[in-house]
Amino acid sequence: MSEPLLACEDIVKVFPGVRALDQVGLRLQAGTVHALLGENGAGKSTLIKVLTGVHAPDGGRLRWQGDEVHLRSPLEAGRLGIGVVHQERNVIPGFSVAENITLQQPPARRGLISPAAMIGPARDCLQELGLDLDPRLPVRELSVAQQQLVEIAKALHTDSRVLLLDEPTASLSPGEAERLFEVIRRLTARGTCVVFVSHKLEEVFALCDTVTVLRDGRSVLESAPLSEHTHDDIVSLMVGRAHAATAFTPRTVDASGPAALSLTGIATAAGHEDVSFDVATGEIVGLYGLVGAGRSELVKAVLGLDRVHSGEVRVHGEPASISSPRQALHRYGIGYLTENRKEEGVFLDQPITRNIAVTVWRKLAGALGQVSSKREQAVAQDLVDRLGIRLARLGQNAGELSGGNQQKVSLAKWLATDTRLLIVDEPTVGVDVRTKHAFHELLWELARDGMPIVLISSDLGEMVTLADRVVVMAGHRVRGQVANDHDYERMSQRIIRLIHDRPAPEAAVEKGRMTP
Amino acid sequence: MRTAAVAPDAGTEEPQTPPRTSDRLPFWVNQRLGLLVLTIGLALLFGALRPAFFDARLVLFPLLRDISTLTVVALAQMVVLSVGHMNLAVGRMAAFGALFAGFGYDRLGLPLPLGLLLCLAAGAAIGALTGWIIARTGVGSFVVTLAMDFALLGLVSLAYSALTENAAFTSTPAGLDELRAYSLADICVGPVCGSPAIPQIAQFTVLALIALGFLYSCTRIGRELLLTGANPAAAELSGIPTKRRVVTAHALSGLLAALAGFMAAAGTGTFRASIGDDFMLPSFLGAVLGGTLLTGGVVSVVGALLGTSLVAVIRKGLDLLGVGLESLNIYLGCVLLLALSADRVRNVLSYRKVVRST
Repeated sequence: MSEPLLACEDIVKVFPGVRALDQVGLRLQAGTVHALLGENGAGKSTLIKVLTGVHAPDGGRLRWQGDEVHLRSPLEAGRLGIGVVHQERNVIPGFSVAENITLQQPPARRGLISPAAMIGPARDCLQELGLDLDPRLPVRELSVAQQQLVEIAKALHTDSRVLLLDEPTASLSPGEAERLFEVIRRLTARGTCVVFVSHKLEEVFALCDTVTVLRDGRSVLESAPLSEHTHDDIVSLMVGRAHAATAFTPRTVDASGPAALSLTGIATAAGHEDVSFDVATGEIVGLYGLVGAGRSELVKAVLGLDRVHSGEVRVHGEPASISSPRQALHRYGIGYLTENRKEEGVFLDQPITRNIAVTVWRKLAGALGQVSSKREQAVAQDLVDRLGIRLARLGQNAGELSGGNQQKVSLAKWLATDTRLLIVDEPTVGVDVRTKHAFHELLWELARDGMPIVLISSDLGEMVTLADRVVVMAGHRVRGQVANDHDYERMSQRIIRLIHDRPAPEAAVEKGRMTP
Repeated sequence: MRTAAVAPDAGTEEPQTPPRTSDRLPFWVNQRLGLLVLTIGLALLFGALRPAFFDARLVLFPLLRDISTLTVVALAQMVVLSVGHMNLAVGRMAAFGALFAGFGYDRLGLPLPLGLLLCLAAGAAIGALTGWIIARTGVGSFVVTLAMDFALLGLVSLAYSALTENAAFTSTPAGLDELRAYSLADICVGPVCGSPAIPQIAQFTVLALIALGFLYSCTRIGRELLLTGANPAAAELSGIPTKRRVVTAHALSGLLAALAGFMAAAGTGTFRASIGDDFMLPSFLGAVLGGTLLTGGVVSVVGALLGTSLVAVIRKGLDLLGVGLESLNIYLGCVLLLALSADRVRNVLSYRKVVRST
């Protein structure tokens, strides 16, 4: 084997109370795609931060083409040729594409930056990626996927020979992801090593050459050829035990009473038109669609965060006009598990107790409005036990938990109160295999106990596993409904056909020519 | 469902400490404790250098009276900081409240407690109005309170010049002079009298501290204020009436500012427009030194008292040492920088210690 481009030897990184990385090894060869896998909290992000100079390792060595290097800052890593595209976008929205691409080495003459000189190099980088973007366009006008590609172009401009992509496809549609893979293949063809972090194993197997699996801060599989391993091998390496798909206890839908939630001909300020569907007691109704189909926007409008122009919302048979999430919660018992866990779901810098008990303070409060912290903690402890949330103590800040556990905390607050209708929005994005499975079981059991659930997800597998019915949306309209027979192949065929039956142009165009 | 939810994790044997858990940091990292030690240490140092520092009537009494007033000012700022806002108009709201108290005593002949109530009501009302504007328009608290500061500056001066002859209400109700001058030495239970160092006006501060301590540690509204500050979007989605809480916080801030204005006026004996002129910076200083976060979501009621005390002790001590006003401010700046960075140093040290033991 030739000299690796970048190699880690016995990297150790310690945070208070935990060895985040424990003698991790990694060998990155030029011209390959290297998969970095592991559950949430296994140490992937920490390793990336060590490789890019954000964290200094507490032990071990980094070798760049055989020479030992010490990276003191992301800038140094960038100069060496290590580029990174984080999960969150790191572009400056107000700057143009060219300015963003050339940000680290802006072409300058006598200390003055010349905007015109940026266009050329920026265009070269974009062309190399096969992108047709105007370098003069402000980045804020681009889609998320395009912004991501701009970041990759930025890494190209600094001559990155190792490019780290942290969950690049998390917020991309299948088409956009395919385009990204095309770019990755181009990059490897010119000798770059791409490190690909993802929870989606299908992508990993389609794209990657070698693989490193981390578990609890150790590398359980180190820079091995991916072709020698099966899908199941990798999952059991990540989870640390054989992963068996468990069958759920069958459950029945109680369609006798009035529907728990019934939408009829809803039109909203966000552009929805004629949206109708019902959710029965104990039923899981999936809302499937591509990113931008308007699913979360629909739910937010129903919760009173946006205007509903016309149509009728009935909750448990009673006509409802909901003006705020507060009213939705306290009057109608609707809980909404948001897709933006960090921005809208949990209070990162607040104790777990408060995060969970926030919905029941009204009930716990005494005459003076005082809340007994003992009763508050009892509520939180009960849910921590029920959901299997892993924590050191209840007073810990929610931000110290791993992503999956944060998501459980976010769900716990709705289970603490007497939620009679649960809306879950992308519940398992960025959550590892094991937690994802636990979550599915949890939602299934909730429905079995009679909870009506609206499940919004872009993960078709999740839909097929959980939903009783799938409502397919595209372009802010309902395209049709499919009863779930839990057969992935058949279901995906039908759903994709519903979505693409008609091309899904923008909502504005749609309105004009929509005839039933 | 209990068993089903736990089942998938039950079979694993690896010790599942959640990743990146910071263990509870050692007690000496506690910021409040550090402030207390620093304050007492400095007081002892000044006392050793200038024994006059411990003179109960001439030094400690006015020192504690200042601390009482400025602590209430810091609390007024802390309350808005808890929802992630700020109140640049604390001083002017204090003047606004004091204007009503003075008017009540001078023109309406109100007794002491009624005038105080009028003062508090005026402060709460102007605070609530500020909060309502912020909640309603969505304009930042910085801008709105800055505008409010200018508006009140003009309004209060106009009112004084229209209502009084020499820009001050001078007639005071019965009891106000006692409030200014009396200490615990004037309260005796049999032969035992209180300390002459502790002013009676501190009773308001103690009340405010207890009330806010109760609010933030025990009540629903207190928690809702903190969560609104920590993450407004998540708070709204969790069913917290965030707009109402913003109004609550600003109303409370106005009320406390007015109380501080009343205390300041009682301390000088006249109700004039210049009351509260120098409140704004100490309000931030006391709150932030005490551990309240500027970004919202974390407050320390006791910290506001300790932070204010530290600043006041340094001022008084340097003053006694004969340091001139200009150099006093330089020293004060240095000590504050030290106090704030000492906190950071403590955190880094304890963090390293915990890391080493892992």
